[in-house]
Amino acid sequence: MSRADTVGIVGGGRFGTALGSVLARANRRVLLWSRDAAVVDSIQTRRTSPRLPDAALPASLTATTDPRLLAAEARFLVMAVSSTNVRERARELGNYLDGSHIVVHAVGALATPNNERVSEVVGEGLPTLKIGVLAGPALPADLVSGEYASMVIASNFEEVVAEGRRLLNAPPVLRVYSSKDLAGVELASALAGAYTLALGLCDGLGMGVGPRAVLVTRIVAEASRLCVAASGKERTFAGLAGLGNMLVRATERSADYALGRRLADGVLTADTQRTEGARAAVAGAELAETLRVRMPVLTGVAAVINGKLDPREAALLIGDTVAIEE
Amino acid sequence: MASDRPVREAENRLEHFNADRERLLAEVERRVVDRRVSEAQQGGDASLEYVLNDVAFSEIKRLEAAKQKHGALDRWKDLSRRLMSMSDREKESELHELVRYYGRDIVGNFDPRVYKFATGIGPSMLNTLFSPMTAVRQGFGVLQNLDQRIHPDGEVELAHTCAERGTLIVTPTHSSNMDSPAIGLALLRAGLPPTTYGAGKNLFTNPFISYFMRNLGAYRVDRRLRFELYKDVLKEYSTVLLEHGYHSLFFPGGTRCRSNIVEKHLKLGLLGTSVTAYKNNVRDGMPNKRIYIVPATINYRLTLEAETLIDDYLAETGKSRYIITDDEFSRVGRIVEFFRKILAHEGSVVVRFGRPFDPFGNDITDEGDSIDRAGRLVDPASFVRGANGEVSDDDQRDAEYTRALGRRLAAVYPKLTVFHSTHLVARALFDALAKRAATRDVYRLLRYPQTEIPKAEVLAAIDRLRARIIEHPGWGAEHPAYLNQATSDKLADGIKGLSTFHTRVAVLDHGEQLAIGDLKLLYYYSNRMAHISPESAS
Repeated sequence: MSRADTVGIVGGGRFGTALGSVLARANRRVLLWSRDAAVVDSIQTRRTSPRLPDAALPASLTATTDPRLLAAEARFLVMAVSSTNVRERARELGNYLDGSHIVVHAVGALATPNNERVSEVVGEGLPTLKIGVLAGPALPADLVSGEYASMVIASNFEEVVAEGRRLLNAPPVLRVYSSKDLAGVELASALAGAYTLALGLCDGLGMGVGPRAVLVTRIVAEASRLCVAASGKERTFAGLAGLGNMLVRATERSADYALGRRLADGVLTADTQRTEGARAAVAGAELAETLRVRMPVLTGVAAVINGKLDPREAALLIGDTVAIEE
Repeated sequence: MASDRPVREAENRLEHFNADRERLLAEVERRVVDRRVSEAQQGGDASLEYVLNDVAFSEIKRLEAAKQKHGALDRWKDLSRRLMSMSDREKESELHELVRYYGRDIVGNFDPRVYKFATGIGPSMLNTLFSPMTAVRQGFGVLQNLDQRIHPDGEVELAHTCAERGTLIVTPTHSSNMDSPAIGLALLRAGLPPTTYGAGKNLFTNPFISYFMRNLGAYRVDRRLRFELYKDVLKEYSTVLLEHGYHSLFFPGGTRCRSNIVEKHLKLGLLGTSVTAYKNNVRDGMPNKRIYIVPATINYRLTLEAETLIDDYLAETGKSRYIITDDEFSRVGRIVEFFRKILAHEGSVVVRFGRPFDPFGNDITDEGDSIDRAGRLVDPASFVRGANGEVSDDDQRDAEYTRALGRRLAAVYPKLTVFHSTHLVARALFDALAKRAATRDVYRLLRYPQTEIPKAEVLAAIDRLRARIIEHPGWGAEHPAYLNQATSDKLADGIKGLSTFHTRVAVLDHGEQLAIGDLKLLYYYSNRMAHISPESAS
């Protein structure tokens, strides 16, 4: 199979491995780069990954510790790494790429320490300008078990979106939709984790279905305001990257949701134990303040995470005392 | 000059232009026609019938609006009538004819004799040429020493390296119709080669400037022609020029900046042809035939057309009067005044060149090699190659590359801005007035009662402004020749500039007090520093 038809995955974590597995089953050639030699060895010799132990990985999913090989074998790359090391990984990867490569990231968070969009951080580290984002309700477990999942790919470059859809579509398991709203999809994806945490908090507090419905609609409204203020499109958060992402994660399987429930029980989490959603909540609240966007839910969640607000008081913020037009 | 090392004069490729002209035009015609005929196979909007109808319809509309009754109008009405019954061969023939016609309308000329003359070798011819026009002669008397008044600085040596290695596209800010000659002379003084450039066709009506423009490589851009075929011919002409190594000049801001704010939103215009030309070079097996985009700012102590431009800006008619034909530039007397009074001032124009970029907005090394944002060498050819190394065509990708380049240019312009005394004085006075009125809204300030401002207050404000500029090199810099000038002299020079040239007096000197004579003009000059936050907000 040619270089043009090969998908490179950066990162041997749960999502990257699950995505690679789905694509390989759909007869795509997939090469995964991990810095962890044990992960690479496990994939190559035992067709399993310690990060996704229940999944049997297909033979066309191969792994390497050599980023040079990854760059040579694949033009289309998916960065599936955490927000805390995306900057460093991009810079390392950039040593081997050129202007022809296409890189989409699947990082649902804002980058530390300046709350930049991940595509901006990735762009600083890579030589290519053809950068995009992949986001949506596709949990690793669902992908591996063959459940129906959908994601959205967005970029300023139509080529990135077209190539992403060509290479990542793997029906019936994974369908990839397209968007031109790079900023909006990135922000929606980052906020989805934060709002998943809010749903966990809501459920942990034992609030009923009525308040939960109000919470979801208020989330969509305020997140859409922030998207617009950050140069995104108003309706993007209501799509796969935002609302879809949030709803699919609102189960105990999600670290963000589970953290929300623990917070409801009064358990404060140390900085180092924070989830992507918790980091996104704090970063999103700071961004909202910078852009002067009123976001009672997000700022409430961030305050709870930082131990500045009691969870029950935060719940009152959902009602939003300032009446605004729907 | 930034360095003691003398910069060798780069090759003037335009000297070969006239010998090349027919070949270039034939290439433009071949490419545009081939492309259009090929696209016509898709039918619909791409069909030749549609393309020709678009031309005829646009021309009829334009000429009717201009109240032209006969001649040219009949030609387009005739084409419109014949279109339905034309065979494919006839349509193709008509397309050929139109592309040739517009190509010839656009194409420039370069006369080495005029170049030598304009660059000072033949100044004695001036009196003979213009002897009947006393005023003009006085103006040209100053023109003979004009290059002494224009101060080029910045990354001149690097631009020279790039000119030897590839083709330059000089991309300055645009605030005056004097920009083209100003930057032409700045290039000359910097030992850089002359460039070809697209100039609005309306400028060719000015006898003073058009003579030089016609013979110094300028090609004509008729902004009234909005149909796609014309834009296609124009872009192809620019592309072919770049591929053939002709250094070019584009104003990425499009038309002259009305407000005098350093341009932020660039229209990019022909800049996209840099990607196309480089892509064609790569496809032709010449990836090392590089193209470099040289950012530059043109910084006037006083702008010839300031009054008209700011009036236009404030009247919010900038768009409707996209082509201003009745400004100071259309009046020979004002131009002569400009040369005689304004350019007589030493260093009255500073042209500052920045570090060039490649067509994808990448920085370059001192040797002209592209580097990515992390500072690593990167092959620019890879940006137009596909997965298997083949050169791929993708208009949307190329447009996105050009937008990225535009963002780099817009980001670097403030840093390259040079402030004259007029800007400093205007900004200090504007700030003082804004403080008194508790608003920076110019429309409100225009209704604010006449106010006197103590000179001592303005002097102190200029001092603080100068200190802040030194602290923030990203905002720009003061005129290099006047860095050590006493603030009192700076103030006196600024007041003189703002009160003597324009027909309206911007600042009135009442001894210990200053009064604002014309706030619009003051606002215009202070706008050059609009990217510098007010003192309290910084």
